[in-house]
Amino acid sequence: MTIEEPEPNPTSDHILDWLEDSVTFLPSFLDDPYHAGGIDTYQWWTQGENLVQEQLISASDPSRKRRNADDPLPRSSQSQQQRKNHGRRINESEEGDEEIVTVKRSVGNKKTSNKSSGNNNTNGNNKDGRWAEQLLNPCAMAVTAGNLTRVQHLLYVLHELASPTGDANHRLAAHGLKALTYHLSSLSSSSSTSTFNRSFSHGVQWPTLLEPLTRRPGGPPPLVRLTIVAPSVENDQNTEIPFSVGPQGDNYTLQLLTFAKSMNINLQINRLDNHPLQNLNAQVIDLSPEETLIVCTQFRLHHLNHNTPDERTEFLRMIKSLEPKGVILSENNMDCSCSNCADFATGFARRVEYLWRFLDSTSTAFKGRESEERRVMEGEAAKALTNRGEMNEGKEKWCEKMKEVGFVGEVFGEDVIDGGKALLRKYDSNWEMRVDEKDGCVGLWWKAQPVSFCSLWKLEMKVNEIRSNI
Amino acid sequence: MAMAMDFDDFLHLEFSGYSSTTTTATTTTTPTTSDDGLACNWNDWSPVVDWEALSGGQDDFHELIDSMMDDSGLNPARVDNETSNSVSTDTTMAVDEETNGDDFKGLRLVHLLMAAAEALTGVNKSRELARVILVRLKELVSPNDGTNMERLAAYFTEALQGLLEGAGGAHSKHHHRDEHHQNDVLAAFQLLQDMSPYVKFGHFTANQAILEAVANDRRVHIVDYDIMEGIQWASLMQALVSRKDGPPAPHLRITALSRGGSGRRSIGTVQETGRRLVAFAASIGQPFSFHQCRLDSDETFRPSALKLVRGEALIVNCMLHLPHFSYRAPNSISSFLSGAKTLNPRLVTLVEEETGPIGDGGFVGHFMDSLHHYSAVYDSLEAGFPMQSRARALVERVFLGPRISGSLARIYRNRGGEECCSWGEWLGGVGFKAVNISFANHCQAKLLLGLFNDGYRVEELANNRLVLGWKSRRLLSACVWTSPSDSDS
Repeated sequence: MTIEEPEPNPTSDHILDWLEDSVTFLPSFLDDPYHAGGIDTYQWWTQGENLVQEQLISASDPSRKRRNADDPLPRSSQSQQQRKNHGRRINESEEGDEEIVTVKRSVGNKKTSNKSSGNNNTNGNNKDGRWAEQLLNPCAMAVTAGNLTRVQHLLYVLHELASPTGDANHRLAAHGLKALTYHLSSLSSSSSTSTFNRSFSHGVQWPTLLEPLTRRPGGPPPLVRLTIVAPSVENDQNTEIPFSVGPQGDNYTLQLLTFAKSMNINLQINRLDNHPLQNLNAQVIDLSPEETLIVCTQFRLHHLNHNTPDERTEFLRMIKSLEPKGVILSENNMDCSCSNCADFATGFARRVEYLWRFLDSTSTAFKGRESEERRVMEGEAAKALTNRGEMNEGKEKWCEKMKEVGFVGEVFGEDVIDGGKALLRKYDSNWEMRVDEKDGCVGLWWKAQPVSFCSLWKLEMKVNEIRSNI
Repeated sequence: MAMAMDFDDFLHLEFSGYSSTTTTATTTTTPTTSDDGLACNWNDWSPVVDWEALSGGQDDFHELIDSMMDDSGLNPARVDNETSNSVSTDTTMAVDEETNGDDFKGLRLVHLLMAAAEALTGVNKSRELARVILVRLKELVSPNDGTNMERLAAYFTEALQGLLEGAGGAHSKHHHRDEHHQNDVLAAFQLLQDMSPYVKFGHFTANQAILEAVANDRRVHIVDYDIMEGIQWASLMQALVSRKDGPPAPHLRITALSRGGSGRRSIGTVQETGRRLVAFAASIGQPFSFHQCRLDSDETFRPSALKLVRGEALIVNCMLHLPHFSYRAPNSISSFLSGAKTLNPRLVTLVEEETGPIGDGGFVGHFMDSLHHYSAVYDSLEAGFPMQSRARALVERVFLGPRISGSLARIYRNRGGEECCSWGEWLGGVGFKAVNISFANHCQAKLLLGLFNDGYRVEELANNRLVLGWKSRRLLSACVWTSPSDSDS
């Protein structure tokens, strides 16, 4: 046999040398600062995906005394606005009289229509299959413990396995890696943080309210007023809220008005820009005594501080002072990851868990196909990993808080529940709607794990001169 | 027939294109030119061994993060600029790979291997994670090409894959060597001999101690635990017959332990080795006889099975872990050494692999130590013979790859528990007495290493123990002992 041969590249790699020097080796991927994953908000918007929103609506109806018990207004307004979370397009949301489903953006973003097969018991908690978390969470723990060597090690591994495409684990690793490196970079640069809250209403849910209003006996109310508390725009990744940024030049108010006009509804839209939730009051909203007020808060109140100071309770008190006819509260059903509630590792694990469910569901929804739409959507959702405003609470805590302030829970109507279930059947069978018999909340579950909930509240001991069939 | 051949012929089989002989004096036919450029890096090489840092703890977290940021040019101001960073981290990686090249890739591989090992056993044990990491590793490396580290990583990947598939670790691939063609095995052995001092270091150190111990004996009996191809005794015979000013060569009797009829021995059977040794002894005029002593079916040793003759100086020789050797179970080794003690041998010569500090003694610690060990072996082979990539690939495929698999399978099964103690320490522990390594022996070892790349080191760890290392990594040690009741020493 011939043994000797020239090697084209005789540069020897001395494994031992660098192995032993490796401590000082810098993971160069750290010089990629966190960025938003290339989210193109314009493209995202043009996909017509729907979004988190928080709005105040007041329906002004001087003729309300004529209403009878069958007046569909309140019910429609609440149920349809939930429904909107699903609406890829406005007209899709108009097709039925299906009602309340509290669906987070994860569901709403699903574009495929996997038919439900009734297999709702799939256990999504198979931890062994969720390998990305086996790297992300230990890494966060190492960050908390200050074990740089281990952090570095896990970042290396994450970097090798992270991919913006592929299965949900690879994607989760990619988003988690970015969040971790971002966290590390802010540790050393102590970048300024702002906890200013903002949100954005993309307005896609309201047509489904307006349309049924026209079918009311006696026609639509003379005036429907929509007050939108728009987010203030910031460029700070610490506070970048998933799905919060609409496109530049977006004019959904105009679209809504046009739509209302075509329905023969007298719609007024009042948009409050750069107005912190904390500063809202009756004057700002410009309430008139003749109006029936419905407050709809979806996935936004968790951005309010819930301890020192407790802005959240303050805000609920303020809402109460407006004496709304009904309050819809939709929120993530998960434990808080803010620095008051959890150390970095614990909070990070919760965020990762949240993102996992999102990525797992989109992976199912897209059936593994790649698309710009999916990329953008997932990039948005991944903001939850870094956003410091993600101060969630579990459903029970929300309910407690509402009761404390003086609201009482209401049960959704049966048709609302049925409608929601019907709607959910259009999606993957891992989605599931569960009604909590205890508190009447409607929960959305993915693979037997709670994702979000929707609840309906009224004022305690309210003089009920106007019947509501909510 | 093989009987007619001497060892040179034997070892020249199939190698006419490659210079080799069996004696050190002419071994270095390939010059060690690495100092002239190819391998000059390691002259600057830092002796600081901080290998444990890969798995150990550090606490200057913030400071280091800061320095990582500074050095990597991270500008926090860029953080807020989304649009300029719409490209994923891969871009950054690509740039760095160009500048840092192989080193960087090697580092990535080490991290992946370590993570895979951890995923197989750690507190966060996750077979799925291990599987995914191994998939990634297989994308990155192949045992047949790439840099040293890449090929090494490929064998470790293969070994880990075996552990993953074998679930409980019952499955192991350490019989791989049998799958290789006999010619490949011979070629690989020859190459190993020529490319590195590993085999000769053990043989020569042991032989020198033996020569010194039996200088005045007329009859010498060596009991050899694992005779393999027997080449150690060819050089001993040559030394015995060429002693100047000494007595005539003593009668040499060698008893080789033999094992039950598995086909595992691919460098000839014990019988073949015996025939060659007899022929070789005859060719140089060394009085010689050869015997076998069969181990029990579980490879344990019964001293009573050994035929002893009064008046013979008894030598017990135990070569373990040489790169081309088969694995021997600890039970078998301990039965041999403790059995040997009852025979009051004049001398016990032991060669074994050195392991590094293992940390917590878990699988990952052993795994990393093993990776470190073999990386040193790979480095040393390459530094000495940078041009012979095919030759190295053969050695790696025939000997090192299977050893890696077997070794990982064992530490996986044992979770590192069983083999942490060195046999040298064990011998001291059961009452053997240390025998000094002579100055001449030490010099001989240095002389031997001088024939190879000067990355090799020899150090005297105790007065009876010489260690062969590559740079800072200790690889093999040879130690010499005598029976507590042997009055001659």
